[in-house]
Amino acid sequence: MKKINYFLAALLGLSFSFASAQTPKGSVLIKNATVLTVTKGTLQNTDVLVQDGIIKKVGTNLSAPSGVETVDATGKYLMPGIIDAHSHVGLDVVNEATSPITSEVQMKDVVNPTEIGIYRALAGGVTISHAMHGSANVIGGQNATLKHRWGTKNPNDIIMMDAPRTIKFALGENPTRVHGRGNGIQPRSRMGVEAVIRNGFNEAIQYQKAWADYDSASAQKGNKATSPRYNERLQTLADILDGKIIIHCHSYRADEIYMLINVARDFNITKLVFQHTNEGFKVAPEIAKYTMGASVFADWWAYKFEVYYSTAFNAAILNANGAITSINSDSAELIRHLYHEAAKTQRYGGMTDDESLAMITINPARQLGISELVGSIEEGKQGDLVIFDSHPLSVYTVPQMTFVDGIKYFDIKEDKNDQRLTVSPTEMVENVYLRQQTERCMQDTEHLFDMAGNLFNQN
Amino acid sequence: MKRTLFRATVICMILGSWMISSSTFAQSDPTGKKRITSSFAITNATVFTEPGKAGVKSTILIQDGVIAGVGNNLSIPKEAKLIAGDSLFVYAGFIDGASNTGITKPKDPERSENFVSSDPPDEIAGITPSRSAVDQFAMDSKVEELRKGGFTVLQIVPEGGMIAGKAAIMVLGNETSSNLIMENTALAVSFKGSRGMYPGTAAGVMAKFRDVYKNTELTKINSDKYASVPGVKRPDIDDTFMGMKDVIAGSTPVMFSASSELEIRRALKLQKELGFNLILTDLENYEGVIPEMKAAGVKVLIKAEVPDDKAIKAQKEDVTEDVKAQYIREKESFDKAIAQAGKLEAAGIQFSFTTVGVKAGDIGKSLKTMIDGGLSETGALAALTTNPAAMMGMSRELGTIEKGKMANLVLTTDTLFKEDTQIKHVIADGYLFDYETKAKKKADEAGKATTGTKVAGNWDYTTESPAGSSGGVITIKKDGNEYSGTITYDDPAGSGKATAPIKDIKLDGSSLSFAFDVNAQGMSIVVEISGTIDGNSMDGTMSIGQFGSFPFEATLIPSITAKL
Amino acid sequence: MKRLTKTFFTFLIALVPMMAMAQIDGEFIKPRTGKFLLKNATVVTITKGVLTNTSVLVADGMIMEIGASIAANGAEEIDCTGLFIYPGMIDSGTQLGLAEVSSVAETVDFSEIGNFTPNMQALTAVNPNSEAIPVTRVSGVTTVLTVPSGGLFPGTAALINLNGYTPDQMYAGFKAVVMTFPNSGRRGRYDRRSDDDIKKANEKSLKDANEIWENAIAYNSMKKTGAALEFYPEMDQLAKVISKELPLLVQVDAASDIQNALKWLEEKDVNVILSGVAEGWRVADEIAKSGYPVITGPVQELPTRESDRYDTPYTNAGKMAKAGVKVAIRTDEIENVRNLPFHAAYAAAYGLGKEEAWKAVTINPAEIFGVADKYGSVEKGKVANLIVATGDPFETRAQVMHVFIDGYRIPLSNRHIRFYQEFLERSPGLESK
Repeated sequence: MKKINYFLAALLGLSFSFASAQTPKGSVLIKNATVLTVTKGTLQNTDVLVQDGIIKKVGTNLSAPSGVETVDATGKYLMPGIIDAHSHVGLDVVNEATSPITSEVQMKDVVNPTEIGIYRALAGGVTISHAMHGSANVIGGQNATLKHRWGTKNPNDIIMMDAPRTIKFALGENPTRVHGRGNGIQPRSRMGVEAVIRNGFNEAIQYQKAWADYDSASAQKGNKATSPRYNERLQTLADILDGKIIIHCHSYRADEIYMLINVARDFNITKLVFQHTNEGFKVAPEIAKYTMGASVFADWWAYKFEVYYSTAFNAAILNANGAITSINSDSAELIRHLYHEAAKTQRYGGMTDDESLAMITINPARQLGISELVGSIEEGKQGDLVIFDSHPLSVYTVPQMTFVDGIKYFDIKEDKNDQRLTVSPTEMVENVYLRQQTERCMQDTEHLFDMAGNLFNQN
Repeated sequence: MKRTLFRATVICMILGSWMISSSTFAQSDPTGKKRITSSFAITNATVFTEPGKAGVKSTILIQDGVIAGVGNNLSIPKEAKLIAGDSLFVYAGFIDGASNTGITKPKDPERSENFVSSDPPDEIAGITPSRSAVDQFAMDSKVEELRKGGFTVLQIVPEGGMIAGKAAIMVLGNETSSNLIMENTALAVSFKGSRGMYPGTAAGVMAKFRDVYKNTELTKINSDKYASVPGVKRPDIDDTFMGMKDVIAGSTPVMFSASSELEIRRALKLQKELGFNLILTDLENYEGVIPEMKAAGVKVLIKAEVPDDKAIKAQKEDVTEDVKAQYIREKESFDKAIAQAGKLEAAGIQFSFTTVGVKAGDIGKSLKTMIDGGLSETGALAALTTNPAAMMGMSRELGTIEKGKMANLVLTTDTLFKEDTQIKHVIADGYLFDYETKAKKKADEAGKATTGTKVAGNWDYTTESPAGSSGGVITIKKDGNEYSGTITYDDPAGSGKATAPIKDIKLDGSSLSFAFDVNAQGMSIVVEISGTIDGNSMDGTMSIGQFGSFPFEATLIPSITAKL
Repeated sequence: MKRLTKTFFTFLIALVPMMAMAQIDGEFIKPRTGKFLLKNATVVTITKGVLTNTSVLVADGMIMEIGASIAANGAEEIDCTGLFIYPGMIDSGTQLGLAEVSSVAETVDFSEIGNFTPNMQALTAVNPNSEAIPVTRVSGVTTVLTVPSGGLFPGTAALINLNGYTPDQMYAGFKAVVMTFPNSGRRGRYDRRSDDDIKKANEKSLKDANEIWENAIAYNSMKKTGAALEFYPEMDQLAKVISKELPLLVQVDAASDIQNALKWLEEKDVNVILSGVAEGWRVADEIAKSGYPVITGPVQELPTRESDRYDTPYTNAGKMAKAGVKVAIRTDEIENVRNLPFHAAYAAAYGLGKEEAWKAVTINPAEIFGVADKYGSVEKGKVANLIVATGDPFETRAQVMHVFIDGYRIPLSNRHIRFYQEFLERSPGLESK
């Protein structure tokens, strides 16, 4: 499947359907690969047929229906499209850092589908990324789950419409630095972080009650009720309490992780995933029992004090204790080799191949609430697939092709070098970026001149 | 020629001096500036009554600011001043669909003692729908420059934050009259966040806009109930509600500033959700969303500007393959950019121009480039006249040269979009303005320094960072040949402003640079500012240590004492 | 897969005696020197091919003997059947030991105030007890160049082995004066200076560099004649570069900057090592012509330009090597120098090839730093910096089983591993109250 402008392709009558209101879906037959299903074992010399964006058949000796292109994957490995549960790629704004709670802010409003980072992630086999609000606020904005359908300028084309709502929380040094130390507003300490969360939820409960009272009063004849103020911020917190939104909480220290678990239990919240959570291993049993698991770095540590006491064995320990564990990037650089980050759990903890692969496929899918749709190679799931020239967990592997919904968006042999979607007509000399700020959890907070150097290199 | 006219006028005066045609009393004017008559007759000029129509030799009669007649064989009253139009071409006066010329940004309101940046009062957070552009407007030299470029009517747009206030329509007539045609014509909205407070980014602005809009709707419902049902709790009516009322009712459109495709999509998204009437303005890159704009039926104002071709001109011949590939992409992008207006026209969208952020002197050249890129001359003229008139709902009074319409005209030495065409006269609100057409006149207004660049004074500056905008005041004093001064800035340690002395002040022609120290959390950071001064404004960058550089703009605050 | 877990548990079990011992009476496993016989391994010498079923004798801090059968003679025997012996890896550019927690300024020591500070010695500021050192060396990186950064001449870099309790014990015999060549690129997304401003800043930096250099040459000549010169420590240090006592480590990345640097260095008679060189592939032929060796990395980095192919940093080293440039690889890391093998592996997979990639982290840096008589390969007479692994140490699946630095057997423990031991099965576990 040539990766060209959908419009052109439709004109050429290639086999995919495209209606302007729908996402483009394709068909392809991948033959004779070593198929790493992740959930149903490894299948040798197996074919996978995708039709209209869905994996229709996984088996041997399959033949392509008319108009469906065949890809010969002999000697190659096929795995499910990689899912990055923590990313900021494709967002024009990352942090609305002006208030400790900004639950009304939506990353879906500021998605930028032309950011080159999306293509580069595809070249690393990542088909879905969780585009998150940054970690400046205790309760940040709502996130957007993106499918990397590269080539469009319409943000709606890359937002995964059937993904559940998620929201960003952040504990520890980042929100206390931005608001307390940087701006003189609570929280300045981990004590304040807990207070902000509890206060927020309690206010939301009051808000819900005020509206419920109004709704019932105004239904009655001759009533004198006037509505309370509308407040999307509190309404969103109420939605969290009603189980409509999955909390993804940036956290590091064991005590603050434990704190939020208790807060969640107090408010009957079960949809909670911990992000980064470098000390998650210290409270692994609690995470396993009460939450939807942890999404961690492979080996980042020591860039801030709260991650000084980390271990690269974090993922292995969490996994061994039964927590749903995934590996994420939180970086436009790391996202390009998440398969390598996952492979590090084999060095640090002896994970099996399926265990390591699960951390970048079915596990993050579960944490994003989309495991029915993606995350493994099973009939009925969406055709998000990656072909590697050798086992994905080998350090020498090179991704060859990446498919989203059955359409090939990355092909190492056919893609041209310059993948920019827009080019400025007035740039005299192209910008050369040296040692870039790839970690963007604190982007948009730089106006708070409050630390030396490495504000940009950390999260 | 002027001599003849003068003589003719004197003769007319002597003959008709008994006749009192105006409704005001005749007054003595020792300055000699008062015009002698409000009637004009432009005889035998090539008149283009509306876009698309060929030019016809006609006479135009103007009386009391209204076009009293167009055609041949008109009876010209004796008090009409004659303008020989034999070598002139006449078009309807141009209309600027959104302009900030003549607008002075209001001072930031003082922050109170207990100001909380996460929950600021609307007025400080840039939410000021009740403000009117009329209060910020004054006819200054920049306005005169626009008029010189043929613009007779402006829709002035207020300066401010995310919801800056209401636009108004002004005619650029005599500076002694109010020149206000209509108020509250649109609500100016943008994705601009506020300095160091909520909302600070585009995402925050969108969320806050929804909040303001929805609460206005609720307050309206509550108000109606209060008005009709006794014993109901009094709703909280504040300035924001008063300003937003007519917007939710649909009678005042929202004029959303959106220059890129993504911003346009975001504005359209809000419109779809909330249902207000939408005008998009400041468009620069919009080709990809033309179908969406057409489908949404929104009104469109594009920037009267094209990208400069410096980079294209600088492309060299002897380069490597991949640099060549870059050049091709850049040229393609440039060609596409100048062809956009033509594409809008082809899609059937009736767009107008905005001059916000555009240098008046460059407009003619930019329009010619758009025409080279595919925009028809008719389309360009319509964008300058009939389209904006229709957008404002003023097609009855403006946009074409017809009997009964306002006397707004542009008189040129050749057809409008020709290379060497110059504007000789502009008539706005029936007032005549003459311009030199041969040599380039050197600007010599009173109060402006003709030697050197004006640096000393108080400059009101703003700087944009991804987190929002920031600003303060720079005070520069000249001491012999030395400069010194201070700068105020948002105190990083809390709310309010801090002051610091500025150092390393260097002036090189019109380039100014200086630096100052910011102390925060026990650390000292050097902030460097450099920029170019052009009259009363300065444009440049502010570099903050290793955090990067941000765009910087400053305007000289006018002082009442005589200058240099 | 199953074999993998088995190998890992073998590794863990190997740790048990150490763990057990670590808990008895406060006794602690220290690095130990002595006589060690590594028996029956596959030895990847780097310079003399791959030797199977070979043993290596380590004594007096040196590789004493390499052969098919070596008598133990009292040496501690370590059975390496099925294992692979490689030289300890060398990371040619880090800030290891010069910072502990990046966000805590008090712990960051690689950058000093002033634009001209070549006399700042990285070696003395190294913290031999940095937690990152034990974390690094268990991956097989035994030696690093630790480099100051900041101004035009930020200081003097030093080569250190990752064992020892004082910087002098760690010192591996090489220093270089660092120069940050004036750069014309943007510092990042938020560097919004206009093109003109960047150009002006660049020109000013070059002017400063030229002035300083001219003075340094004059200073050096005067010094040689024995002139009575005022105390000027910065010039003293730079004079060592001019007299070729120390090489100049030039940090430069953008293609046009590299070209400028090559021109600038051309007439100067000094020993040059180029470092960073992110866009080296664009001017590979010119670099090859200059004969200067190149330290490049990090390999796992984003392309410098938006229009670049996505794998440009991965293919950089390979392209330069193909053009004839001598390439060494660096991570430019502080606390994750342990990822050097993976950076090298990426360079290998994307054009450099495994053999060259191994050289880029062993013999090449040793030669570039003039210490190839002591480090960089498994050869008799060299210093015993060795790693023993279950497979190719570049592969994440492989486990490093033994590490020797300076002939010391290094305990394979660090805080990360201790946490794993403590928390894999926490006690008390989950106890609901």
